[in-house]
Amino acid sequence: MSKFVKIRHKPHLAMIGLIASLMLVGLAAFLVRPAAASGAPVEPLQVDNTTCLYCHGKVGLSHPMPNGESLSLTIDPGHFNESAHSSKACTDCHTDITAFPHPELKAESLREVSLQYYTTCRQCHQEQYDKTLDSVHQKALAGGNTNAAICTDCHNPHTQTPLTDAATGELLPEARVHIPQTCARCHNAIYEQYKASIHGSALIGEGNLDVPTCIDCHGVHNIQNPTTASFRVYSPLLCSKCHTDKAIMEKYGIPTQVLNTYVADFHGTTVTLFEKNSPDQVTNKPVCFDCHGVHSIQRVDDPKYGLTMKENLLAACRRCHPDADANFPSAWMSHYIPSATKYPIVYYVNLFYWIFIPTVIGGMIIYVLSDIARRLIERRKGVRHA
Amino acid sequence: MSKKQSAPVQQPRQYERFHWAQRVAHALLLVSFTTLGLTGLPQKYPATGWAGAMIKFFGGIETTRFIHHVAAGILMLLTIYHILDIGYKLFVRHDRMSMLPALQDLKDGIQAFLYNLGFGKRRPQMGRYTFEEKMEYWALVWGTVIMGISGFMMWNPLATVRLLPGEIIPAAKAAHGGEALLAVLAIIVWHMYGVHLRRFNKSMWTGKMSEEEMLHEHPLELADIKVGLAERRVEPGLLRRRRAIYYPVAGILAAAMLLGVYGFVNGEKTAITTVPPIASAVPIYVPQTPTPIPTSLPTPEITLTWDGGIGALFQAKCGTCHNETTKLGQLSFASYADALLGGKDGAMILPGDASGSPLIQKQQAGGHGGQFSAEELEMAGRWIAAGAPEK
Repeated sequence: MSKFVKIRHKPHLAMIGLIASLMLVGLAAFLVRPAAASGAPVEPLQVDNTTCLYCHGKVGLSHPMPNGESLSLTIDPGHFNESAHSSKACTDCHTDITAFPHPELKAESLREVSLQYYTTCRQCHQEQYDKTLDSVHQKALAGGNTNAAICTDCHNPHTQTPLTDAATGELLPEARVHIPQTCARCHNAIYEQYKASIHGSALIGEGNLDVPTCIDCHGVHNIQNPTTASFRVYSPLLCSKCHTDKAIMEKYGIPTQVLNTYVADFHGTTVTLFEKNSPDQVTNKPVCFDCHGVHSIQRVDDPKYGLTMKENLLAACRRCHPDADANFPSAWMSHYIPSATKYPIVYYVNLFYWIFIPTVIGGMIIYVLSDIARRLIERRKGVRHA
Repeated sequence: MSKKQSAPVQQPRQYERFHWAQRVAHALLLVSFTTLGLTGLPQKYPATGWAGAMIKFFGGIETTRFIHHVAAGILMLLTIYHILDIGYKLFVRHDRMSMLPALQDLKDGIQAFLYNLGFGKRRPQMGRYTFEEKMEYWALVWGTVIMGISGFMMWNPLATVRLLPGEIIPAAKAAHGGEALLAVLAIIVWHMYGVHLRRFNKSMWTGKMSEEEMLHEHPLELADIKVGLAERRVEPGLLRRRRAIYYPVAGILAAAMLLGVYGFVNGEKTAITTVPPIASAVPIYVPQTPTPIPTSLPTPEITLTWDGGIGALFQAKCGTCHNETTKLGQLSFASYADALLGGKDGAMILPGDASGSPLIQKQQAGGHGGQFSAEELEMAGRWIAAGAPEK
């Protein structure tokens, strides 16, 4: 069978180009194929990237897919050489490319090509890959939703630049900005909300690195479904990671007592106990985002959306308490610790018991001790009763 | 009974101290108070480990609150019973109000304390209820009123804030918690010492007290009993008439109070029970339009000769694999001569016979790696039909 016939029977070939000489191509092809046929392990094709780029560096190189889409086969050498993978050989990932011509591509669509290929990332990124197995994306994929994100949807392997500092493992500043834009590829409506929020506008508009980017709340690789009951009851601890951090909050004049004042309230008490005792408890007791919003969080003193605007707070209350009247929102102390000026009734009730309990109980204890002492003395003296 | 017959003389005289209904009420109070304390205090300190463990033991916070509410209901019913019972004693039997605090109680308390400190000759002599007992009783009354009012406010916050400022709800919560702590500590210190440690006073369970005990603890009452002053006899006819008035009044009162308790417990559906939607929810999956992938430049205007553009077209479309170096299938389009030479299967271009040329046939079949567009294929066909000229 001639090479020409081979290519005739395998019309869907992703072509790669030149080996140093035609003889080497022929030699490699003929050496490798019989070995594969006899069941021996296939040796990866030992070629350098310039060989592949001879063909794949050409702009517009593409391959028609059966569903009518066009698979771009062009790799921009400039981008690739700046990527995290610049030191890798093409064949490190494209392990099925063992010879020229390449094996037939058995995929109907561009999506199928990605789905067939992405597990190759495991070779080097096993830890991250294993984490993705626990993610909401992977569960959606397993449930048949092929739109669910896989490695290559977030990390184009041919252009992905390093996201973390090689020395510290910390996320690079530019990566924090890059992340929402990556998630936006599929979650654009959420991204638009985030971009307009107090957090998103600070990150994207000002490059502020104190504000959370997507992964600070959702995690990375093992991204969990944020609509579950357990995510909900855990969420106050997510927000409080930053909002109880004095070093961050002082810069913006935001009080750090938001968590303890929430936990001290009926709603927060309940949610905290659920989180401790039954993390999967379904509840409509509000968590931070029920009042403050999820991705659309605004300043509390925002003149339009802020919760310090009474009507906004009342609207938030009424989502669960439809019969609430205008007095009702002040039953929630708005994260204030009661003082003589803020929520004075509560403050003075607490003060009363601070004084009253020690006084009463202390008085009782003094009397009881005196009675014990007297009766011990009398018993020693042999006096039975007065 | 046999004991009494065999030794009637040694049997100390017993005085009835508490009626069975009072003892049952006490037992119910004991159960409800303890339950309220055990299910309530962990709610006051939810962040602590012990509170978490206790609430878990009770079956979670919702169940804990349910138990707390049931116990509160029992306490409310007990309170109604107690009010009606007092009413009966005051209006029907015209009993002495022996539980009312008086100046004498303050004097007794001071005297007892001074005596304990060694400044007095003897303990105060007290009547049916000692100052310790009165203090405990009135503390319970005070506590029940505070807990009832603050409990109502927390149970029915919407109704409460129609009349009062919203701040009253957290204030009620603060009072409820403070009063609870006070009550539990008072029971532990005062009640435990007074009736369990100092001397185990069983009269609330047996209903009886011996003469010796009476002499030591309630000497004035004992004296009253001995001289027949303790119990006021009511003439049977008068008793009947008073009852005939009191029972209907008490019935109406009881119905009104029970209705009040029903309203307390069932008056308000404070919050919806279903989980609300997240207000800011937007569609989750909204993909962006992908950046277009760069395509090759459009085919330039060409004349139908190899040098006039056909050669360049072939090299662009076929040259990736079929060039002088790769020469896939021993076919190359690097030069006019190579193109006409063909590959392993012979000539691909048969000048003058477009439809018979394998190149055209292959491209027409479609799906080739270097696939011509329809326009390009048509051009190649016309070039071959025209004899595939080089120049």
